[in-house]
Amino acid sequence: MSRRLTVMLTALLFVVTYVWTQDLALKGGTILTITDGTIENGTLVIQEGKITNLGKNIKIPKGIKVIDVIGKFVMPGIIDSHSHIALTDINEATDPVTPQIWMWEALEPGSDSIRKTLAGGVTTVKTMHGSANVIGGVNVTIKLKYDRPVEELIIPGVRQQLKMALGENPKRLYGQKGRSPSTRMGNAYVARKAFIEAQEYKAKWDKYEKDKAPGKKDLNPPKKDLKMETLKMVLEKKLSIDCHTYRAEEIVWIINFCKEFDIDLLQISHCIDGYKVADIMADAGVFYGGWVDSWGFKEEAYDGCPYGLQILYDAGAKIVINSDSPVVGRYLFREAAKVQKYTCIPEDEALKMITLNAAESLELDDRIGSLEVGKDGDIAVFNKHPLDTTTKCLITIIEGKIFFDYAQENATFKGGSQ
Amino acid sequence: MRKIAHTLFLVLVLFTATGMAETAGTILIKNGTIIPVKGAPIENGDLLIKNGKISKMGRNIQAPSGTQVIEASGKYVYPGLVAVMTAVGVTGYPGAGNDTDEVGISTPHMDPYDAINPEDDCIEVTRLGGITTVQTISGMQSVINGKSVILHLEGSLAEQMVAKRYVAQIINMGAKEENKYPSTQPGVVSFLRAKLEQAQEYAKKQKENAEKSKKDRNDEKDKKSFANRDLEMEAFVPVVEGKIPVIFITNDEVTIRNSLEIIKDYKLKGIIRASSGILKYADRIAKENIPIIWAGTTSIPRRWQSHDQNYHTAAVLAEKGILFAFDPGEWGPGNRNVRNLPTPAAISVAHGLSEKKALEAMTINPARILGIDDEVGSLEVGKIANMSIWTGSPIQGRSRAETVIIKGKIIPMTSFQTRLYEKYKKIVYERMKKNK
Repeated sequence: MSRRLTVMLTALLFVVTYVWTQDLALKGGTILTITDGTIENGTLVIQEGKITNLGKNIKIPKGIKVIDVIGKFVMPGIIDSHSHIALTDINEATDPVTPQIWMWEALEPGSDSIRKTLAGGVTTVKTMHGSANVIGGVNVTIKLKYDRPVEELIIPGVRQQLKMALGENPKRLYGQKGRSPSTRMGNAYVARKAFIEAQEYKAKWDKYEKDKAPGKKDLNPPKKDLKMETLKMVLEKKLSIDCHTYRAEEIVWIINFCKEFDIDLLQISHCIDGYKVADIMADAGVFYGGWVDSWGFKEEAYDGCPYGLQILYDAGAKIVINSDSPVVGRYLFREAAKVQKYTCIPEDEALKMITLNAAESLELDDRIGSLEVGKDGDIAVFNKHPLDTTTKCLITIIEGKIFFDYAQENATFKGGSQ
Repeated sequence: MRKIAHTLFLVLVLFTATGMAETAGTILIKNGTIIPVKGAPIENGDLLIKNGKISKMGRNIQAPSGTQVIEASGKYVYPGLVAVMTAVGVTGYPGAGNDTDEVGISTPHMDPYDAINPEDDCIEVTRLGGITTVQTISGMQSVINGKSVILHLEGSLAEQMVAKRYVAQIINMGAKEENKYPSTQPGVVSFLRAKLEQAQEYAKKQKENAEKSKKDRNDEKDKKSFANRDLEMEAFVPVVEGKIPVIFITNDEVTIRNSLEIIKDYKLKGIIRASSGILKYADRIAKENIPIIWAGTTSIPRRWQSHDQNYHTAAVLAEKGILFAFDPGEWGPGNRNVRNLPTPAAISVAHGLSEKKALEAMTINPARILGIDDEVGSLEVGKIANMSIWTGSPIQGRSRAETVIIKGKIIPMTSFQTRLYEKYKKIVYERMKKNK
């Protein structure tokens, strides 16, 4: 009996390994490339993790695993650029300035939230520090390779983003403790003070490095400060900024602040009032990273307005829809559909908000976000068009490997697990 | 001169006021696809509204003179959606204090009617989403929370909006107290049972007193003792008498089981609002004919459960013949997005529920559960004229309600959000022109 079990397990292991390393072809589906229109009855080939071919009459290389997707929709894996999943801890809420915190150190590849999110066609997320601190921790952008080693999840070479947060959260949290910041002025002061210190810190180190160069021996290096080390990286543009901001005046403030310190602001998260200053955001080239129709869940979120996406779009601001929630992160495609309820933004552009735009906001648009030869084989297969809200995700593939398969994992499968 | 100006101003105000509160006239919707929910769809159908009610439905209805005609070809006419368990009308402004969740473990006498604000921004935002009728509750943080009311989302005074006052009592089986009784699930159960016993006792005494005073109208002493009223118990009497339904808020299989036991033991008109664990009891619920408010579609299943466990639940409820309605989601003044009621419906359709059943669970089913199905929840002659003209099925996230009619009145398609849009469109576009 136990020998039979061993044989079965070995066979299973063999099959799993085989599937794990296999290249893939998706045959006969409607391919939504995002950058180059829709291919009806198309085929897409992934080899060694990358898309090597796609089109109508594609020759499928011999020996490759072929998945029939006739009648199905094939789109790039969905990207969530504001998430808190797969983390054991989120907020180091003990000090308003904590840039020494690196979120990858809380990353849990076996987290069930990854499994549940994969089922929504999501392949990449930026999982973030919370919004307790004006200067929080460094976020981490990951592929949702469930239960694989941490090194496989973290995308190599990508510039990570430091989380900042303005408005109610830091001022409420520290104000309640009888500490500064307890006002928006306080928030501004805390941010400015930290970056001025970082400038000084960087100047000291730059001077040391410069003086050291000619070969002086008795030169003492300045004292290392881990908080300042991170902020120095921001000043050197080795890290960029994602700022949690709701109100219009704060959006303008953080744009000006980042100009003042010559640091890169990539995304304004939540960005409830973004539409009020859409042109200013467009000029700054900063991404709107928010919801479609959230409003009123707190004072600074009161003016949330789904119609405002039209103003952002018309002004040329770049729009990303993200979840900030393990619940909504499982159906971002349904959020994208609602863009068309409230605006006249075309279908392709709505889809970009959860794919290519999000990739661009992560500086990964050369790798993910659309279906093109040379890009990563990150794919979501849906049974209906992804903007049809009665659709569901059937298969999620990361770099050619199947990480979610509806046929194997659903409530009715073997009677489910009720 | 000043007087003239004042008169002019008054005239202007009156004119605007009448313009806004449009009286319910005769309206004919023409050539639309009518989806009555009860009964078969009518292609190319007409619908006549008179005196705030649906007066005729069918094909080629002639418009009486003075009728406002709405052309609806290529469009769909659906009954107004009905949202249960909302805070619409009492959400207040964040930071200004909410008019929900009065302090106390037992507050069955709290009546949201007393706090309804017809100016609540949530009203306009919600009805633009095709939702015309809501149940507004007074809270859900306590064990015994309070009454709930039915509102039609039209009217400048609370009494104009309220369709039914005491429509259901709200009990939360998961509302444990911290560091005081009841702090455990058995504590909550026993606390609730004690209150129900007390209410039965009170009801008995009330009856005895009523009979006594009938017998001897001049007995001042008895009158006095009857005047010794307990408002908390008074609110609970119709509950124990089975006249007013009770919505049991549950959050797992334990709270569901205990609700079922209490409903049985006290012969209550029970409704269960569930967000998890309902399938285990589906057969019993079907057998005991208990209606369900399903609030768990988007809840993340447990670690050991399949990702679509909750997505799939509505399909199972329908299959078992259980009467259920969708809950627009996480309750509370913090959640003003009641307009997203179709989201759980869409997800459930994706995972096996028929579109017909999904639609019923946002219209006629909630109306049935709350006992207002003779007035709303479907398009039928004689019912209140609550409906919307849609570009497609409300279940589709991309569909829009283009015309909303409540109590026979055409609703202006504006909210503070559309006004913000108009305001900032102008500001941003002008700034862009200037900077070019």
